[in-house]
Amino acid sequence: MKCIIPGNNVRVFGKAIHCLSKIGEDLYIEPLENGLALRTVNTSRSAYACFMFAPTFFYHYDDGKCQNDTQQQEKENEDDGKFKCKITMKSCLSVFKSLPTIEKTVEKCKIKLNFTDARLVFTLLCKHGITKTYNLTFQETESLQAVFAKDLCPNKIVAQSKLLCDAVGNFQTSQEEVTLIVSPEKVCLKNYVDDEPDPNKVMHTEMSLLPEEFDDYTIGLDTEVTFCLKELRAILTFADACYQHVSIFFETIGKPIVFALDGESVFEASFVLATLAEPGSTQNTTQVQPAPTARRTVSKTESQKKTTVASKKTPAHESRSCDGWNDRHNGFNNTSNQPDRPSAFSERNSPRQNLKMAGDAGPSRMPDIVARIPDGREDDDCSNASSESFTFQGKIGIQTSGNKPECFNVQIGEGDTSTVDIHIPSGDEDEFDFIPSTPPTKKFKSMFFGSSQSQTNSSQNETMVKPTTVLAEDTDEDDSD
Amino acid sequence: MSLSTQQGDEDGQYVLIAKLDNARNMSNILKAIHFKEMATVFATANGIKVTVEDSKCIQANSFLQAGIFQEFILREESATFKIDITVLLECLNIFGSSTLPGATTALKMCYGGYGSPLILWLEEGGVLTDCTIKTLEPDEVLDFNFSSTNVINKIIMKSECLKEAFSELDMTSEVLEILMSPDKPYLRLSTFGNAGSTHADYPKDSDMVESFQCTQTQTNRYKLSLLKPSVKALTLSNKISIRTDCRGFLSLQYMIRNDDGQICFVEYYCSPDEELDENDDR
Repeated sequence: MKCIIPGNNVRVFGKAIHCLSKIGEDLYIEPLENGLALRTVNTSRSAYACFMFAPTFFYHYDDGKCQNDTQQQEKENEDDGKFKCKITMKSCLSVFKSLPTIEKTVEKCKIKLNFTDARLVFTLLCKHGITKTYNLTFQETESLQAVFAKDLCPNKIVAQSKLLCDAVGNFQTSQEEVTLIVSPEKVCLKNYVDDEPDPNKVMHTEMSLLPEEFDDYTIGLDTEVTFCLKELRAILTFADACYQHVSIFFETIGKPIVFALDGESVFEASFVLATLAEPGSTQNTTQVQPAPTARRTVSKTESQKKTTVASKKTPAHESRSCDGWNDRHNGFNNTSNQPDRPSAFSERNSPRQNLKMAGDAGPSRMPDIVARIPDGREDDDCSNASSESFTFQGKIGIQTSGNKPECFNVQIGEGDTSTVDIHIPSGDEDEFDFIPSTPPTKKFKSMFFGSSQSQTNSSQNETMVKPTTVLAEDTDEDDSD
Repeated sequence: MSLSTQQGDEDGQYVLIAKLDNARNMSNILKAIHFKEMATVFATANGIKVTVEDSKCIQANSFLQAGIFQEFILREESATFKIDITVLLECLNIFGSSTLPGATTALKMCYGGYGSPLILWLEEGGVLTDCTIKTLEPDEVLDFNFSSTNVINKIIMKSECLKEAFSELDMTSEVLEILMSPDKPYLRLSTFGNAGSTHADYPKDSDMVESFQCTQTQTNRYKLSLLKPSVKALTLSNKISIRTDCRGFLSLQYMIRNDDGQICFVEYYCSPDEELDENDDR
């Protein structure tokens, strides 16, 4: 892999690194054909960021596919033709530490992979002939991929970064979460007060904006979503520095919210944040579970093990796996301020009523399944166990008893005979959802996927459970959703 | 008239009297070597030299020539004492460190000889402060025996390009490796930290380099923690001279221009990190 970044783009690159460093601790680098991907995910897996730099961003971009070096070719053949690695944010930040200095002095930045010494080499060519070389250690890893379909979201807001920065600036720096409440008439940003015994003793901040302030305001579903403010601040800092419009795609409670930046076609950035699965204080709900522990650790397992069906963001999939969505989405892509709102949505107060089955979708290809699996560290309180999720392809067969699905039999891989039996306790539960990212309890939902291939590499932080492991049955009977 | 004779009588008891119109000229130079509490002060007819040492491996000297003082009187051949430099700096900055033009602090410094305290009179805007700081028995200062004749490599360059390199040095590295050579890469500063190795190369034909005299390729390692304080001197300076001698000892000399345009020098001497598995003596 080898690429050279021209001087004025080094600033953008450095800012992107700083933005990513505020979200996750490891930077996943993957040179793809259509550009260099820099990704990260936070420790609780509730935020994902991806920067994609197109080849036009660079003076010279070589993703390492056609190499004459035989050693390198062998290596690449092992890895299925692509080099993927992760480096710690700290080491990457040491290269781009002082952005003003970089802006002033750096003329070019070269990123090269040194196979023989196993180092990722960043070379900054500066003014006055000065050269700075950073040989960083890296870890080979699997691809980090988020599965999300922003084009299918009914709500879309496009705003100037300055507007959002100003809006977010009204909140205290210590504020952790913020709620975004949308309706066709106005948008409201409120600070989220968490589990406060006396909400009147806490300062509440609320600000409203009219649709006219936005470049595009399309609301298909009145909703309120709560997500982490810290990550949003990092996103807006980057967007503001690069004068970007920010496009926000979201649906409803529990579904991820996507912030997208488009840098004049030389780069694009996507940030996917998990949203709180429990409605905020303004909504009356009977679905609130008393969460035994803090919500922030996303990978906590839910009380029931569920498989959810998610689609990879490819055109072929989008139409298939979210069948129920498509017709509702007609008329959603207008840019008028008066969104169409089919009445079908007014019934959808709860995200749990949709049941999407992978098997129903056109079977021309194995659908992708995202599974959440505990990593074995079960405490007495089941919800304390953390879980890992990954994506694999498979078919789902369902055994039902009465009206409720009881057991899922998932066949992994084409031709592969290994199966996973996932038992769903037939509690009083009246909903089963297979909608991505909707946990039943008041928890942030992990939507991540560590690996898009079989996990042979254990260089990941969390240990991955092999697909043949049977998921443990949930033992928490108190949960009554 | 009577005031001046009175002054004269009082001043008669002092071995050293030095007057400065702008105390900042002295305090800035002292800040550049302030990495330890105690300093040794040498006063000679040429001026005042203040020395700070650490671990018997690094020594910093700041020179205040007699010429920068408005008045400099030394009644003996030399005067030496040890003093708490932290306290001295706090007294010199007693009127605060505002940089308003015209608001300078005037200083009169007196020393009565062996055993007597160092007395400072500071005046700003009509307000007068006097400070008396106890002096201590001076310690032997190291003689690094760094003579110009033994210098193998010498580079003089502008400080700006090194400033950010030094301040961004990877502190997880134990050593700073300095390579000076008549061939490429000419001058290279390297660190070896947790994230990997970092190299900063400065070519000899760069417009930042004023003089480049390297006869031999030398690579020496110095403890980064010892050299880090030299960044203070680097930020104040305009030019830096880097010299290594045949033993690998490093001499960094900084040329600092003060508010009044006068030139002062600060120098750092550092001994190299020896490899433990070396059998023969150097």
